[in-house]
Parts: sequence; C-alpha cells; structure tokens
Amino acid sequence: MGQTPLRKKRDLLPYALVTPALAITIAIIFLPMFQTITYSFSQYILYKPQEKGFIGFENYKAALSDPLFASSLLHTFVWIVSIIVFQFLLGFTTALLLNRRFAGRGIARSLILVPWVTPSVITALMWRWMYDGNHGLINQLLAKFGLIKEFIPFLAQTSTAMGSIIVALIWQGFPFFAIMLLAGLQAIPDELYEAAEIDGATKSQRFFNVTIPMLKPVILTTILLRTIWVANSLDIILIMTGGGPGYSTYTLPVYSYIKAYKGMDFGYSSTIAVLLTILLMIIVTGYVRNILKSQED
Amino acid sequence: MKRVIAVALILLIVGSFAFAQGGKEKTDEVQVVKFWYHFDNPETALNPLIEKFEAENPGIKIEPERISWDTYNQKLLTSIAGGYPPDVAQVKLWWQPQLVEMGALLPLDDYIADWDGKDDIHDRIWELTRHSDGKQYYMPLQMVILYLYYRADMFEELGLAVPKTREEFLDVAKKLTRDLNGDGIVDVYGFGIRGARGGHDWWGTFVLSSGAEFFDANGNSKLTTPQAIAANQWFIDLYTKHKVSPPTTPSDGFVEVIANMKSGKTAMTIHHLGSAKELEAVLGDKISAAPVPKGAEGYWTSFGDEENAIFAATKVPDAAFKWASFLAEAENNAIWQKSSGQVSVNKSNASADADRFLKATTDSAEFAGVLPAHPGVSEFVESLWPALMQQAFAGQITSTQMMQSIEDHFAK
Repeated sequence: MGQTPLRKKRDLLPYALVTPALAITIAIIFLPMFQTITYSFSQYILYKPQEKGFIGFENYKAALSDPLFASSLLHTFVWIVSIIVFQFLLGFTTALLLNRRFAGRGIARSLILVPWVTPSVITALMWRWMYDGNHGLINQLLAKFGLIKEFIPFLAQTSTAMGSIIVALIWQGFPFFAIMLLAGLQAIPDELYEAAEIDGATKSQRFFNVTIPMLKPVILTTILLRTIWVANSLDIILIMTGGGPGYSTYTLPVYSYIKAYKGMDFGYSSTIAVLLTILLMIIVTGYVRNILKSQED
Repeated sequence: MKRVIAVALILLIVGSFAFAQGGKEKTDEVQVVKFWYHFDNPETALNPLIEKFEAENPGIKIEPERISWDTYNQKLLTSIAGGYPPDVAQVKLWWQPQLVEMGALLPLDDYIADWDGKDDIHDRIWELTRHSDGKQYYMPLQMVILYLYYRADMFEELGLAVPKTREEFLDVAKKLTRDLNGDGIVDVYGFGIRGARGGHDWWGTFVLSSGAEFFDANGNSKLTTPQAIAANQWFIDLYTKHKVSPPTTPSDGFVEVIANMKSGKTAMTIHHLGSAKELEAVLGDKISAAPVPKGAEGYWTSFGDEENAIFAATKVPDAAFKWASFLAEAENNAIWQKSSGQVSVNKSNASADADRFLKATTDSAEFAGVLPAHPGVSEFVESLWPALMQQAFAGQITSTQMMQSIEDHFAK
C-alpha cells in the first residue's frame, strides 16, 4: 500500500506523452464523429438555418423507407464484394509469380506498385478518358481488333458504368494485396516445404497444406483492411461518373456526399454515414470475432 | 521533476489549442476585402483590375481567392454556415433564394441609390437580379444568353436552313445525323445534348418552351400537365428514339459537348459566348450561331448570369461595395469581359460591330429566362435534374415519373 503514491507520480509521464496524440485524435476524429451523430438526429439543411433542430429518429425512418438508400446499399455491397474478390485473386497470383526467381524480378516488384502509388484522382481521370465513348483508348483498341463495330459509351450506360469503375478500382488496389501477400510468402520458412517434399507431398498439396495455412493471417488481415477502405472509397466514383448515369453508381458514401454537398442536407447525409458505419462495424466485429479469433486458437 | 515536466507538457498542449485563435484581432488602417471568384480560363485579367482598384482606392486591399467551379457553391455555403464567408463573392442568380433565406446577404439598395454607375446597367439586368422580396442584393457583373451553335458548312452541304421551330429543328437534326464513310456507323450526330450536370439549359430550351412551367402566375406548378409531359417526352426522344445525340450523351458534360463540336462529332449544340472563341479557333467560319428554335408554345433560353454579392457578415461593407461597384463600371467591366469571354452589363459597352455570336446573344435577349427563385433550384441543378434525365435516357423512368419527381421536389 505504501508504494501507491510513488507509482502515481511515476505514472503521470506516460499520460503526458500520450496527451498530444490523444488531443489530436479527439480534435480531428472524435469531435467530428460526435458531431456527425448529433447531426444525424437533426434537421440540418444548410440553407434553412431557422429550421435546424433535433428531430429524433426521423432521418433514420426516412432512410429505411428511401428506395435510393436501398439501391445505394445494394451497390455498396456489389462494390465491396466484387472488388475484394478480384483484387485478392489478382494480387495473390501476382505475389506467387513475384516470389519465383526470374530475371528482372526487382524491377517487376517495383513496377507492380505503380497503380497503388498513383493518386486516386489521376487514376480516375485516366480511366475516364480510356473509357470515353467518342475518343477513348479502350474503344479504339476494341474496334481495331474487330471486337466491336460501334463505340461503347462505357460510363454513359447504366448497364456498364458500375462494372467499368469496379475494373478501375481493381487495377488500382491489387498491388496492395500482391505486396502484402508477397511479404507473407517470403516469411514462410523453406524447411516446411522441404519437410513436406520429403513426406512425398505434391506441388498442389504443398500449396494447400503449407502455403495457404501459413499465409492465412496475412490474407485475413489484408482482406479486412481493404474491405474498410473500399467501402469508404468515394473519389474514383465521383470523378468517373458522379454517381450517374441516373443513380446507377450511387454507393452509400457517394449518396451521403451528394446529399451533403449538392443538396446541402447535412442531417440526412450524416444519417447515411452513421448507418454505413454501423453496418461496417457489424461486419468488422463479426469478422474479427469469428475468423481472426479462430486463427489464434 | 518528471511530474513537473509532465504537467508543463500537458499545459503546453492544451494551452496551444486555446491560444491558437488569438492574435488575429488586429485593427489595421488598411481595409482588406476578401473576394472569391471563379473563371474557366486560368489566365485571368483579375490582377490588372486589382492593381487599378488599389491605386484608385488607397487604404483598401483586395485579397482574391480563386475557387474551382465544381466546388464553388458548396464552399460558399459551408463558409457561410461556418461563420466566415468572404466579403464579396461572385454568385449566380439561382443561389439567391438560398443565400437570402440564410440571411447571408447585405441588401445593397442604399448603396446603389448613391452610386453613379447605376444608370449605365441594362434595365433588364436590374429586373432579373432583383430578389422576389423587392430588395437588390446582387451587383451585376456579366451576362450571357444561351443560343444555338451550328456547323454552317454542314448546313450548306446538305442545303439546310437554320431551324426556327422545334419541328424544323428535329428535321435538320435527323438529316445532319450521318454515316459519312458508309461503314454503317454514325459519324456525325445532329445535336449534342449535355446529359450530365448543367444540361438543364438544353432541356429547358425545348421543355420550358413547350408548355412546362415551374410555377405559373398563380404559383401553381405546371410541370405535370399533359403538354409538359409530352414536351419532356419529345426531348427524351431526341436521344432514345431519333438518336440524333451521341450515345455518350448521359455522361457528357460541358467539356465533352464542346469537344464533340470541335471534332465534328456533332453538328449543333447549345451554349453561350463563353465558348465562341474556343470554337472559332478550331472551326473558323464553319461555326455559326442563331437564337434557339421556338417550342410548341414560345421561346425559352437560359439567361446565364454572374453577379457579385456582399455578405452580411462583412466588417468592411463600404470597401466591399466599392470593389463590387468598381467591377460593374463600364471601363472595368470591359476588362473583366476580356477574360470571361462574356457580355458586359453596361449600356455604354454595347458594341456596334457585333459579330455573329454576339448578335445571336442580343437577338435572344427578349425571351431569355431564369430558373424560379426557389431554394430547391440549387439541388435541382446540381443533382436532381442530371440523375432524372439520365434515368429517363436509360429508360428506367418515364417522362411522367421524371416530371412528377421535379414537381415533388419544388413542392417541398
């Protein structure tokens, strides 16, 4: 008991050291987050300051009966699943290739990062011009090889707009998977493969019984991180189609952004953002609890 | 000792936040006017104007800030909501209802009454820019009127006359839509429609001239009358049925529409003087202009405006008005228009040697209209119209559903 005052004195320094980081986190993360939650329960249309006020769950009720919210939610789901699946498959294949020995491997490993380090805005503008229905590179190539007769207005058709943006995002994000998985692959000790080989394991057996299990923690963590990032990404859609044509490329972040900055309705926009956060938190906590935990056991 | 350091550190951190706002309250002799503007062309003539103004008005300093057009409106509204708007900002007429409702604007009637330049502004501009509450919040800056651009060479080649009515327009648009090299693919489209944001002017030309009206004289919506729905259908058909506009129409914005005219992909479009220089540089005599065709019930074209507003939160209203009125005086306004490519608001600047583009503009002056003074206009222009139009072009909604949605939006 006599030691307590001494401990207290000593314990103050860590707090002091944590204070700057904590103060910044509170100022730039928790305060805006709290404000968003407050707004989501308010009528807050920027150009109607007189009508600003608490309205309880009205915005939430409106969202649940809003067909545009439902379709944006569906698009968000398609968006996340298709991007993550293809980025993972492409990234994994690339990682396996880069893990082999071949001439120029160092250069290939650096080059593969180009899509990932290119700023989103540039990526989006580049793809927008490549998809262009009048002068775009993709149309010209397809026409040159005789695959199409008339140019396809990729971003102007509701049937192709979403798919086209998804392809652009897969291209942008797969290097992250490739590099993370490559690092994971290199961490697998050679002894395991040697032991498996001595036991008579075939190539595919070694892949499924050594590589995959050893890589699983990296795979699961990378998928988790990418899911969160992809779910929140907005810049590429905004630049490539702005949510159109019609509402065909509205995802929840796009809807929330347009509501806030085109409709000036910060209340409803915040509600959409909060609902997206809740959905993501359910997915993430479920994922962490069930899948990551089963890994530890 | 450690404890002292720790406490000092905490105080320092917390204190730096507290004092971060301080130190700004300096009362200077020089009055600073914060001015926001946007220009399509980065090589603006703003600096010479500022130098001229500051030389004529010692004691006032202009602090210009150029804001990109895409985010201009949102930045302006958030700056007002945040309590730190600029002193003077370039504004659009259709923002006025929102800005007035926010209590953001300073009424200028008293200032204008004492201002010598007021009689040199076109009367029609004063009329159009006065708010529905009878007060004048906006200082005129520039104007344009949308007209029809057409490829004179293609008209001549096919022996076509410039369309005066909606029917003639459809007829020439069909004839201009051609496969030039016989490969079965259309190379030139008759009319370039802007289907993305900002295309409501193209739509209004044909729909608001053929029976559709946001509000009639009694304030009732006339957007879902049979005539209005038919007029909207007529416009949708241009793309879906007659296919006189390129397949990329739903995603075509300003850049694409003008690029298509320049490359010869389209033979007609609608825009204003702002793009005349650019088009003429590429197409020379092949490009010409005329007033838009007449709809089923009359004419409608968009009066494109820019004004300056002074914000109620300003601490330097006198200096702010000096700057806003300076820009509206004939000599300075002419300098401004050199870089904007638009039309001066001053009577004394009306030039006698008007070229074909300016002539098309002035010929349209009588029937040029504006969108209604309603706080919902901004969202209609920014996101509702493009989304509905694109859905209608894709066949996802009918003409009736589209017009009903617009009516519902304005009934809110």
